[in-house]
Amino acid sequence: MSSDGVEIGSNGLHRRRWLARVAAVVVLASAAACGPREPVVKIGFVGPLTGDQAAQGAEMLRGAELAMAQAQTAPPIPGYRLELAALDDQRNPAQAVAMAKRLAADPAVLAVVGHLNSSCTKPASAIYHKARLLHVNPVSSNPEISRQGFDTFFRICATDDLQGPAGAHVARHTLGARRVFIIDDLTTYGRGLANEFKRATVAVGLEVLGHEGITQGEKDFTPLLTKIKALGPDLIYFAGMFPEAAILIKQRRDLQIPAAFLGGDGLYEPTLITLATPAAAEGVYLTTLGADVHTVPTARAFVEAFERRYGSIGAYPAYAYEATNLAIRAIRTAGRPDRPAVLAAMRRLDEYPGILGLHRFDTRGDTTLRTIGIFVIRDGRFQFLKAVEPSE
Amino acid sequence: MTPHAVFLQQLVNGLTIGVVYALIALGYTMVYGIIQLINFAHGEIFMLGAYLGLTVLALGGVAGAGGPAAIGLGVVGGLAAIGGCAVVGWLVERVAYRPLRQSPKLAALITAIGASFVLQNAAMLCYGARDRYVPNPFPVSQWQWGGVAMTGMQVLIAAVALTVMIGLQWFIRATTLGQAMRATAQDPVAARLMGIPVDRVIAWTFMIGSGLAGIGGALFGIYYTTINFHDGYLTGLKAFTAAVLGGIGNVPGAVLGGLLLGLLEGLGAGYLSSQWKNVLAFAVLVLLLLFRPRGLLGERVAERA
Repeated sequence: MSSDGVEIGSNGLHRRRWLARVAAVVVLASAAACGPREPVVKIGFVGPLTGDQAAQGAEMLRGAELAMAQAQTAPPIPGYRLELAALDDQRNPAQAVAMAKRLAADPAVLAVVGHLNSSCTKPASAIYHKARLLHVNPVSSNPEISRQGFDTFFRICATDDLQGPAGAHVARHTLGARRVFIIDDLTTYGRGLANEFKRATVAVGLEVLGHEGITQGEKDFTPLLTKIKALGPDLIYFAGMFPEAAILIKQRRDLQIPAAFLGGDGLYEPTLITLATPAAAEGVYLTTLGADVHTVPTARAFVEAFERRYGSIGAYPAYAYEATNLAIRAIRTAGRPDRPAVLAAMRRLDEYPGILGLHRFDTRGDTTLRTIGIFVIRDGRFQFLKAVEPSE
Repeated sequence: MTPHAVFLQQLVNGLTIGVVYALIALGYTMVYGIIQLINFAHGEIFMLGAYLGLTVLALGGVAGAGGPAAIGLGVVGGLAAIGGCAVVGWLVERVAYRPLRQSPKLAALITAIGASFVLQNAAMLCYGARDRYVPNPFPVSQWQWGGVAMTGMQVLIAAVALTVMIGLQWFIRATTLGQAMRATAQDPVAARLMGIPVDRVIAWTFMIGSGLAGIGGALFGIYYTTINFHDGYLTGLKAFTAAVLGGIGNVPGAVLGGLLLGLLEGLGAGYLSSQWKNVLAFAVLVLLLLFRPRGLLGERVAERA
């Protein structure tokens, strides 16, 4: 359009008049289609929708979408249409902050459900706090996030100060390991979980032979694995996400390393088994945030609805669904499109009976519902072994 | 594992990724040698090679290691990657670089970056933004000698790369087109005066370099089992580094640089720390360029092609 401005011949003038006509028609058509615009309130969703973790991000989005679809029958604020504003953080902290700012700047956004990675959630939570925007986090398990003292932050999953020790317990007592090598992916989540695991090794009597980081997005970990093979641990513990885990598991087999493999909830994604090949993934153990959703009686209706709509269910949709419902509940209680009112409504909530169980929130905003699940990969599938309560 | 076996294993690890770097570095160096252009779109062509290989495997319905049919499809996939990437390389040269042949170097460089974005986003639109799983059509075999483990895929990568590199060397030395390429590299004006169709020679250079990146990409995808549209960026950058390390414009230099970079990464991650893998590799590059600004084999300017 700007190039039109510099043209002075009659041709340019004609073009401008023509453009004006088109613009007028477009405006009229859109006005006719919408009629008087219904006001909108939005819930933001942010997660990795592109890139290597897109499989997990897209699954979470489906969980949020299901919650939104079910809420359409009774809008939380009468007279307002409820919409989901889904954004992509590409699992990149800088992108997460940019998306958080975009949501903060949109006055129709009353609550945010996000992000997947702790490294994204942590910086984004500061933006939501500044914007007085209710932030319900589904699955970022780094304990530091809730220690920042943001009254806008609520989390519905267990944290890594439980998952790390649970992993150490499995390592020593289920797998019978004595010597372990720790790998993490240098992210907030990975490094945090690895440190919690390492701290817990002392109590259970595990010897740590080494602890090293790898870079997300890389594909060749054979030098590190060769070093590990030479040290001869009986267990490799990996704190990170499934794309890197899959490569580690596959290359561990290529290098014929006999050590067992244990990881955290970042591995709980069926794609892991495809990428690593089922043969190499056989016998890999993992800890997860919560039990297998199929075994939770209160989640049955959700699992059925989800599987009817999308086929199969992965690790995180239940959490995204729960977090979205919690946000809808807070908006409904507030009853008006006002961020501080929504936040106040959430803070007044004593308990919330969700599909995962009964949530209460402590002063940091963390749920008291803090189960850790233990899984093993058998015949190319995740097999649920048991759930561990934090007191155990 | 004995320290000796560990060292040998790290050599095997480093050489495997090193030959992939070398295959891509050849394309960078050939193009630079002939028109002094750093073809930043070359990393994306490598990535397209992986996708083209995957496309053939997916169309053929290969799910995993299988019989002769799967192996056949694997070979077809590799050839499709070579052919497809050669065509894309030709197209990029024809559309993006040839019209700018007489423009300042900077214009061509910016165009190269633009071409890289176009290819990357085209791949994203065609194949989606998610990681794609690449099935391995070749029989899975493993060996172990004295603690040193190797897979059939590693042998295949090395064998293909070696064949291709020897073939390329012969091609540049012995064929008419190879001679024309060397002549154009030495002095394009004189070459044109001697009746060499310089534009056609340049187009062939792009096609050959892209074909090499294509087979490198197809092997890379199968070896690491996943491919993503932005995989060309980092690997391309590393291969470019390898080309500079060996002396950009020098064909044996690119091979040497690739192998050396792979070994540096492998030994750095194995003996220091995996966190420092890239730091070490690039620190060596900086040091080397301080003392040998033209790279390891960059002195023999007359022989570049």
